[in-house]
Amino acid sequence: MCCHGLPVGGSPSSPGCFVPLIQKTGGLLLTAERGGRMNVGTAHSEVNPNTRVMNSRGIWLSYVLAIGLLHVVLLSIPFGMYIFLHTVKGTPFETPDQGKARLLTHWEQMDYGVQFTASRKFLTITPIVLYFLTSFYTKYDQIHFILNTVSLMSVLIPKLPQLHGVRIFGINKY
Amino acid sequence: MLRVPSRIGKRTHVRGCRRQAPAYHLILEGILILWIIRLLFSKTYKLQERSDLTVKEKEELIEEWQPEPLVPPVPKDHPALNYNIVSGPPSHKIVVNGKECINFASFNFLGLLDNPRVKAAALASLKKYGVGTCGPRGFYGTFDVHLDLEDRLAKFMKTEEAIIYSYGFATIASAIPAYSKRGDIVFVDRAACFAIQKGLQASRSDIKLFKHNDMADLERLLKEQEIEDQKNPRKARVTRRFIVVEGLYMNTGTICPLPELVKLKYKYKARIFLEESLSFGVLGEHGRGVTEHYGINIDDIDLISANMENALASIGGFCCGRSFVIDHQRLSGQGYCFSASLPPLLAAAAIEALNIMEENPGIFAVLKEKCRQIHKALQGISGLKVVGESFSPAFHLQLEESTGSREQDVRLLQEIVDQCMNKNIALTQARYLEKEEKCLPPPSIRVVVTVEQTEEELVRAASTIKEVAQVVLL
Repeated sequence: MCCHGLPVGGSPSSPGCFVPLIQKTGGLLLTAERGGRMNVGTAHSEVNPNTRVMNSRGIWLSYVLAIGLLHVVLLSIPFGMYIFLHTVKGTPFETPDQGKARLLTHWEQMDYGVQFTASRKFLTITPIVLYFLTSFYTKYDQIHFILNTVSLMSVLIPKLPQLHGVRIFGINKY
Repeated sequence: MLRVPSRIGKRTHVRGCRRQAPAYHLILEGILILWIIRLLFSKTYKLQERSDLTVKEKEELIEEWQPEPLVPPVPKDHPALNYNIVSGPPSHKIVVNGKECINFASFNFLGLLDNPRVKAAALASLKKYGVGTCGPRGFYGTFDVHLDLEDRLAKFMKTEEAIIYSYGFATIASAIPAYSKRGDIVFVDRAACFAIQKGLQASRSDIKLFKHNDMADLERLLKEQEIEDQKNPRKARVTRRFIVVEGLYMNTGTICPLPELVKLKYKYKARIFLEESLSFGVLGEHGRGVTEHYGINIDDIDLISANMENALASIGGFCCGRSFVIDHQRLSGQGYCFSASLPPLLAAAAIEALNIMEENPGIFAVLKEKCRQIHKALQGISGLKVVGESFSPAFHLQLEESTGSREQDVRLLQEIVDQCMNKNIALTQARYLEKEEKCLPPPSIRVVVTVEQTEEELVRAASTIKEVAQVVLL
């Protein structure tokens, strides 16, 4: 059955006013080929819009902002990201592909399973950058180090291409 | 005692300067930075890109390939090359190749094709709306006649809601994939018509065929599925199960055992989709179909689908059921959303046909009686056997003993049909897309009974078929 989670990153069409800012800042290090707007509620030929959410305009900025807002409670971010990207399966809307993505998590659906696209690279690098920041802020304390490393690994390892579609011990398979 | 102040001093001294990062942490950070650099420079690739063929094997296959001719050679007696030309409407008396025959081939069960009231309603609608709607239902293609017809059909069938499709074949072929997706299981009868087969193919679900009308076989399949489900309850929780049957089967003229099906439905928790194209307007006291025939509560059937091209003498189809079920098709029914809607004149004709059906409920009994009569009259022909229920208006005449090759059988039956046509009885063979059908039925002549045929015409037809069969099948 379809999941009832929200698409990640909030509504993609809302930070439209920030778009020129992104383009003016010259983008990030990544060779991003950000797509156009996600056509919500209009006719389009995209079979599963979930695959293009992370490419839509402004979504990277909304993602960073959301993380910034949640930065107050550091631990919730990897936890929340893990739930939305790697736990919840399917789509919150009907797709015309007869349920091809019903058993796939959002990460596996992204860009139709093509590995190492721009969005995937962005979403892998952001937790690592966060990890650097948090370990700096906690002054490399040991307990914090263990917790942060564990949460970083739990977010990084499912993103490996070898783990595409893998369900360990059959957890979350159906 | 002396040590404490110095230790405190040391600690405050240590706290003054910045804490040095531990070595393992620096190593980990180094690894992560290398990982980032690797990520930045890695190319995108698609998984499962590898094909299992080597370059040499590919070359070999290309060498071996022989192009098929654009126009394949066809035998001279291919039915597509020898067609009959009908002038005028295919009503009770049909003019085939210039000869007037009695129509035993068109599915005009209630004779509404030529009904003056229906024609007048269609003409009035034509004058009011024009011919076509030029749009799908969601894009200015919904007219008041469509809503009216949906309302009338829902009331007639005593369900909550109905939805109209503009083409009969597309009705069930759109309804099935709207509910059944990948990973779902559909149990379907072997004799299901081609439209159902295409719907199942489009749904990408797991199809399990059971022997025609064999409830024991269906129960066996359901039990096997239940055992599988118990082994894997989490998968079972997300799998939907459907049973697709027809009321009166087009390919065999038999009726489905609906009471047993409903029992199986509640025992094994599957949903029933009932295709009533041949039984709508035929079976039951008021023509409501096979549910009325058996006296089953219509809410037990999850979806009833029928086309209006048989008894209602219109074009298109409808699905009816509970609002919760039918409403889903308004966005997910591909034939509903992405096809132009039914021309209003045909919708008006269907409404008038429904009016006639509701006003004279006696015609259903008349039709049943005529079916029984000709069914009895056609028994005992040497070489041909009657396949179908006695109350089915569309039944088949199959060869009792096949000659061994399908072409030969088809040729024999065509000979019978041609000679009957010479004697002014218009019959037809049941035609199939032989390469596309899942379970190809044996060749047969399909005989259709309508209320407009008089008793003497029925008697004459039966005797004609008997004579011709004796001559041809000697």
